[in-house]
Amino acid sequence: MSLDLTAVATQVIRMISGLKEKRAEQSQHLDYALATINNPPIDLDDLKSKIKAAKTTWLVAEITEALSKTYPLPLSPPDFSVIAADGSHIDVDRHQSTHCYLINIGTVVLNYGSQPDAALASIPHLYADDKDLVITHPTNGREQAVEGTVLGVKRSVEECKSLVSLAAALPPQNPALALLDGTLILWGLEAYPDFVTDALLVNGMLKCLDALKKFNKERRLALASYISYPRSTDVLNVLRVAVCPNDIPDCDKQCPPAHGKDCAGLDGVRDRDIFMDLLKDGERSALFISPSKVVKDYYGDHKVYFYYLRVEDEIARVEIPQWTAEDKDLLDLTHSLIYDQCQRGQGYPVALSESHEQAVVTGADRENFREFIESTLADENLPNATSGKSLSKKTRWV
Amino acid sequence: MSTKQNKIAEVIEASTAQFTAQCYELYEVPSLGALVRTGDIYGIVAHAETTGMEPGRKPIARGKDAATEEAVYKDSPQLKKLLRSEFTAAVVGYRKEGKIHQYLPPQPAKIHAFVYLCPPEEVDEFSKSFTFLNILINSAFSVPAEEVIASSLRQMSHVREDSRSFLVSAGKELANLLASNIARVRNILEKLKID
Repeated sequence: MSLDLTAVATQVIRMISGLKEKRAEQSQHLDYALATINNPPIDLDDLKSKIKAAKTTWLVAEITEALSKTYPLPLSPPDFSVIAADGSHIDVDRHQSTHCYLINIGTVVLNYGSQPDAALASIPHLYADDKDLVITHPTNGREQAVEGTVLGVKRSVEECKSLVSLAAALPPQNPALALLDGTLILWGLEAYPDFVTDALLVNGMLKCLDALKKFNKERRLALASYISYPRSTDVLNVLRVAVCPNDIPDCDKQCPPAHGKDCAGLDGVRDRDIFMDLLKDGERSALFISPSKVVKDYYGDHKVYFYYLRVEDEIARVEIPQWTAEDKDLLDLTHSLIYDQCQRGQGYPVALSESHEQAVVTGADRENFREFIESTLADENLPNATSGKSLSKKTRWV
Repeated sequence: MSTKQNKIAEVIEASTAQFTAQCYELYEVPSLGALVRTGDIYGIVAHAETTGMEPGRKPIARGKDAATEEAVYKDSPQLKKLLRSEFTAAVVGYRKEGKIHQYLPPQPAKIHAFVYLCPPEEVDEFSKSFTFLNILINSAFSVPAEEVIASSLRQMSHVREDSRSFLVSAGKELANLLASNIARVRNILEKLKID
């Protein structure tokens, strides 16, 4: 039975009319947010102390400078390189007898300027060894299967490893930008035990970030990740703290769910709405620091900073490690080159869209992959046990 | 006979009557009518095209603000990796035990076989017979066969000592082969006027 679109249609119409009603309210909330950020000027030190003391139920960005500060687009260097890696994967299929997963990494090296050149690659890797299928606690032997969210995190680590390999092969004379898609923060790990974080973050992602940072001894290499159409509210939440009438905000105590709250006038606004108003095309916002617990606990000198960048009619969030954020040249390099990449890529960094194109595993690819495993099993006269559920999906009957 | 310098492409589709090859360099496609060789098989280039590497990704216009066409490629260096040039050659003969036979080989070309542009001496050797013309006349290409035939004869004539008498002989052969279709013969002969 396919989806009953007629039944869905009335629900869609109701949803759209609800959105229409909310628009006016959201516009008022945005005006309030902009009034707060612009006027009267917020005392930064007071606000920093208030944020530090606050007990909020939402994450509040750390502030480094005036919230409404904007920076014009810096000039791009004449010759530069952009490297990027993106991945896609085929998860473990628990309905099949063969336990394995596949990660396909797409990589791109783009050299611009006097010697333009490009290298695009797609590198698949099949993981079927026991050591790849589970992460094991080094002392108590506890195991965590690598599938679902954990596999997604492992993929991010593999993307970063590929970026390190690409950076190692770059010509030393050109400044370079290493780009990742999405966030630098491995959010998914917060729900898992520490030994999983140690394996994937401490001994995985952060080792790669160390390597990328070290390359700066030989050349200028900035690292950034790019989030298109971000939904984050880290900066909006700074404004919530700013408008809170209590000296030390404590959401649970002062504003339990049944009561009204003073910051309700900011509900529904996202950071991108604020910066769409504040920034002109090509400008970036002030720098902020991610309030994420995993960053505070583990990232050290790779602490994640972020800024918002206006690319024509879109606001993007750019995340950078501390060593890129605190070096003005590297920070400017991320600003100018990401904007330049978007200009060349119809509004989205061309290195990221091409690495995605290299990495993408289509539905047909997945089917071919499974069929190839099955036919190879058959060639070797090995049994190919499969679940009844999987069979029932493949063979449909009335 | 084949040197590393004239290896130009690689077979990606092959059948008894034709093979398609992807060029190693974008736009470095042999001329229409050129004689090429893969393994022992000879082919005449009957069609060429440059398209996006992936079927679902169509090139878009990029040069509105660019000063030159070269600047378009310079500003987007990935383009050369995302586009590809390929050509299809009609099989017109093969070499067996050192001798060229101008009829279809027993086996088609192999996928991934290298394709070489034939050097003048090999073109000279091949063009000593006109038997291959019959294959071209009876083939269906995506361009008119008359264009392929005329173009191949013009190019062959360039390596012959007496180009004019070569083309006259070719014209006579065509008149014999197409005795019942004088209009077609005339069509080809019109295109054989020396470049």
